[in-house]
Amino acid sequence: MMIKLTGGTVYDPAAGIDGKKQDIYIQDGRIVKKPAKDVPIDKEYDLKGKVVMSGAIDMHTHIGGGKGNIARTLLPEDHRQDPVARTECTRSGCGHAMPSTFVTGYRYAEMGYTAGFEPAVLPVNARQAHMEMGDIPILDKGGYVMLGSDDYLLRMLTAKKDQKAVNDYVAWTINAAKAIGVKVVNPGGINAFKFNQRKLDLDEQNSHYGVTPRQILQTLATAVKELGVSHPLHVHGCNLGVPGNMETTLNTIEGIGGLPLHLTHIQFHSYGTEGDFKFSSGAAQIAEAVNKHKNITIDVGQILFGQTVTASGDNMRQHANHKHASPNKWVTMDIECDAGCGVVPFKYRDQNFVNALQWAIGLETFLLVDDPWRIFLTTDHPNGAPFTSYPHLIRLLMDKSFRNDMLATIHPEAQKMTTLGSIDREYTLNEIAIMTRAGAAKLIGLHDRGGLSPGNWADITVYTENADREKMFEKPDYVFKDGDLVVRDGKVIATKWGTTHVVKPDFDPSVEKGLKDYFDRYLTMKLGNFKISDDEITEDGRGSITAHPLKRLA
Amino acid sequence: MSALTFTLKYRPDQRVDLSPLVCQNLEGKEIAEIAALELQSGKAKLRVDALFNISFGDAQNIVIKNSFGKLDFIGKKLNGGSIRVEGDAGAYLGMGMKSGSIRVTGNAGLYAACEMKKGTLQIDGDAGDFLGGALPGNKMGMKGGLILVKGNVGERAGDHMRRGTILIEGNAGDYCGSRMTAGTIAVMGQTGRYLGYAMRRGTLLLWSQPQLSASFNDCGAHTLGFLPMLFASFKSLNSRFADAAVGFNRVRRYAGDMAEAGRGEVLVKL
Repeated sequence: MMIKLTGGTVYDPAAGIDGKKQDIYIQDGRIVKKPAKDVPIDKEYDLKGKVVMSGAIDMHTHIGGGKGNIARTLLPEDHRQDPVARTECTRSGCGHAMPSTFVTGYRYAEMGYTAGFEPAVLPVNARQAHMEMGDIPILDKGGYVMLGSDDYLLRMLTAKKDQKAVNDYVAWTINAAKAIGVKVVNPGGINAFKFNQRKLDLDEQNSHYGVTPRQILQTLATAVKELGVSHPLHVHGCNLGVPGNMETTLNTIEGIGGLPLHLTHIQFHSYGTEGDFKFSSGAAQIAEAVNKHKNITIDVGQILFGQTVTASGDNMRQHANHKHASPNKWVTMDIECDAGCGVVPFKYRDQNFVNALQWAIGLETFLLVDDPWRIFLTTDHPNGAPFTSYPHLIRLLMDKSFRNDMLATIHPEAQKMTTLGSIDREYTLNEIAIMTRAGAAKLIGLHDRGGLSPGNWADITVYTENADREKMFEKPDYVFKDGDLVVRDGKVIATKWGTTHVVKPDFDPSVEKGLKDYFDRYLTMKLGNFKISDDEITEDGRGSITAHPLKRLA
Repeated sequence: MSALTFTLKYRPDQRVDLSPLVCQNLEGKEIAEIAALELQSGKAKLRVDALFNISFGDAQNIVIKNSFGKLDFIGKKLNGGSIRVEGDAGAYLGMGMKSGSIRVTGNAGLYAACEMKKGTLQIDGDAGDFLGGALPGNKMGMKGGLILVKGNVGERAGDHMRRGTILIEGNAGDYCGSRMTAGTIAVMGQTGRYLGYAMRRGTLLLWSQPQLSASFNDCGAHTLGFLPMLFASFKSLNSRFADAAVGFNRVRRYAGDMAEAGRGEVLVKL
């Protein structure tokens, strides 16, 4: 079947196209070249005056894994207050801050998103994460496997194993957990928490293993690079949320020595200690460092006001945050010596000085980082705000007067502490397309997504131009997933199943010998059960696996 | 003006959500409008006149006749006015009610007066579990008002209770007053196991000696001057609690739950 999208204004930064009128042809799920004259067009969509982009990609969103279920269990009111009825083609569900899997898929698609990546897949819980993501319709998905606080790696570092051994272990874990990248959360800190350390600075030793966060970052970033994994090491740094943590973040950027590093939800890591409340914005310094260091990419983790829930592997920081829980209930736990987990409900308030300044810091970061290819639009769903607030966030970035109107309503002391009002930059549609599409696909290493040139999968979103960018982005006219129309006028009209994106780096099979002994001795699961096979994802007939090529090493 | 009366025509198989039939929602509506309101029953929506014979009258004075135990959410968020239920009431009777009064001549189901804020609720028969409690996962149960139960109550009466009074003429099930933050529960009959489990503050006033867990400390016998005043405040009730002969001021006091804040008290008549 040949589908033609006629006359839309195309924003395809992957091919360098910035708002050009052109036709797009779709055949068998992919975008194809203009067919010969005698090929019949089976279906044509008139897109004159419409904005056409590829399907958006959320490169950091907590949509799978155990902590989501803990958050759901902890917050039944989140379900009660937001029920979603079934329709002819969609299933029922519920949830505002942490929606059910099906509703997650529908709501993403209805905003024009066609892929989401779970950033915290614990190796030991990876199966559950994939099964849960397997229940999210329409979206493509993938996960970054979490290392850095696991007992096995820390033992290796204590024993001064060489980089090659670590690389094998990392590659083996990526394969076993079916991941597309590697994440580290509060490097070593999750583990140190269990030895009663309540903070861990970049150069502070874990009291049991004697390993510092800096060593862990260096080792894992090197491993990811040497294995040829496209997505740089995904780092949730030390000291999340601590006033003054900007120094730690700058130190992390400087200290990594040019290795590729992705610093996630950097808003939570950009705080200074100036002012009457000893809490200030470090966004300018962080943005300057990011602009200078081309090896660094970031996503923001913008907060937006309202009720949400924070779900993180960082049990150390979540334990410290529990006193801010609203409503007052929270969970912090260990997970099988592999990592940890903390779930704390939060209500961000615009009349709270700290929350208001966090909001401003996130926006400052967006506006002060020059290169949209190295910064990504996230709220760290659900930690800063539910993903459904993205259209609002896009409007804040694209509309200076709207932004300044909002700024005028927040806590007055916070207004004095931010330079936001003096920043004139407004994001262009092309820059939004880079941040949410082309850039994200490039960062994750999706070779045939995030672009509209022939050969790409036909994940396409069509919007109606509207000066109110929130209205424009919350209700796309059409969304195509792999060439099928799934959303019309902001409502799901058909569903289908996306694929699971992975990478498969090589490793020396003998790595399993040491691992098998370790599993037999210490873990609740046998090595053979730990590894997820392709079949487990595909055997239900709707899941599939797409392996992406590794970077060729220089 | 006579009462606005709903007489149940038949007993549907599925439970019915009766929350639209509250005084503030019916005030000012014509009988045809009331008849056309829809009630959720399982997957179906039923018109009010499909389920009830309606006798028009004062919307501030509602009577539900022939009621039975599958009519849920009677008097939900009631804000003034009165509802009289002749027969049994289902679950969530008077949930979140803000003011006014509800009286049930029969029994009430689970979660009666759940998260009630103010007003009075009288149940002439028995009440189910979680009387005056919080919805699952919520941290605050009943926040004010008065509940009078002439029969027995189920488990977890006053769970997460915050303020207000629960008077029980009969027996209370296990975990009576569990996780109470404050408020008063008086039980004339017997109480079950785990009385006051994890209570932080609040008062449990008992006529017979309970079985207390080890985390309650005996504080000895006391003559408490506030008790006669408390009993005097019940004088106007149509209840055994209004009878001067049942009052007392000599009690044995236990403090707990020491596994929690431990500032709650269990007062037992001596």
